[in-house]
Amino acid sequence: MRMTLGLFAAGLVLLCAVPVVAHHSFSVEYDAGKPVKVTGAVTKLEWTNPHARLYVDVVGSDGTTTNWNFEMASPNILERNGWSRRAVQPKDQVVVEGFGGRQSANRGIANSVTFNDGRALFAGAPDR
Amino acid sequence: MRGVKGEMQMRRLLVVVVATLMLPLSAQSQTQGPPEAASDAAVPFRAGGTTPLSDMASLPTPRMADGTVDLWGTWVGGGPVNDMAAGLKAGEELPMLPWAKALRESRTNPEDPHNFCLPMGVPRQAGAFPWRFVPYPTHTAATHLFILWEGFRNYRQIFMDGRPHSEDPTPSWFGESIGWWDGDTLVIDSIGFNDKFWWDRAGTPHTEQLHIVERWTRANFSTLNLEATIDDPGAFSRPFTVYHTAKHSAPGDELKEYICEENNQFGLAGGHPNPYRADPAP
Repeated sequence: MRMTLGLFAAGLVLLCAVPVVAHHSFSVEYDAGKPVKVTGAVTKLEWTNPHARLYVDVVGSDGTTTNWNFEMASPNILERNGWSRRAVQPKDQVVVEGFGGRQSANRGIANSVTFNDGRALFAGAPDR
Repeated sequence: MRGVKGEMQMRRLLVVVVATLMLPLSAQSQTQGPPEAASDAAVPFRAGGTTPLSDMASLPTPRMADGTVDLWGTWVGGGPVNDMAAGLKAGEELPMLPWAKALRESRTNPEDPHNFCLPMGVPRQAGAFPWRFVPYPTHTAATHLFILWEGFRNYRQIFMDGRPHSEDPTPSWFGESIGWWDGDTLVIDSIGFNDKFWWDRAGTPHTEQLHIVERWTRANFSTLNLEATIDDPGAFSRPFTVYHTAKHSAPGDELKEYICEENNQFGLAGGHPNPYRADPAP
């Protein structure tokens, strides 16, 4: 796994930051009452707009595999927060924490992605 | 701003050097108005990312060789997001006509055209992602001024050559804009808007009678203030004014590509159909 951490003039300027708003409101798509924490193997990272998407194969207790589709922020925002399109590769083991879709059982929104070596990256998509 | 590459490189170098010497610097708020409505405030979700900013408020407003204020830079903010009323002065309310208020209350967020990659119009478009003013020509008094928005890859054209408004402009998402300088303030006068875009996630409506006068003032290097007076007798009982502030993003931060139509899966997780698709796929 290669990870490019974008550092913006690190060491040169003390940066302040404002939250950016995303493509849509959280609550119209996802349910805060459905917290999700899954561990699985990455099958694909779509570095696309309006949202990047991380697909993860998750093996359930019954042995069946479900391919989760996690929405993340848009690539422009992710790149400004330490991500790159090479941050994860297929077969990488990750832990994804977030929330489930209001209707779709295997769609969710990623709040954070934690890698095998313990590093975690922000992944949130909407403004809250 | 004059389009001289060497000059721009020197300017950027100056920005970084001066900013380095100014550690530490304090943060400033993004908007002048009250906090935006936080309808999702109870959701235990981490803030949706940040755009790094450079606080160089103590640096003076930059100017071009002829003394005109230089608006160059990558800006963040400057428009409403959740509620147009957030830009009002404290205690004010949007003077919506009854039908407009009823329409706003009937609208639901999943219907927001923006969710389906349609433009956010003026002044909402500035509230999302970084953007820039780009004059043309760059080496003399501009006849055109363009706004390039990273979000949704939209642009806006402002005529700076002294022409009046058209008699009957075709209604459009960003309207017809003419601009001029009033001292150090850039004035943009716009008509010819369509009524399709929503001003905010709450669905605040407007009509094709909309007339917006924006006054952009670069108060210092990193602060760009907007005072927008909105007159739409079709939807509001009187003109009103909203205030927003854009901040300069971090040195080296440039616009990035954002093609919303590329992979928009909005609605699939929440079960919302696209109301703007005239002929839904079978």
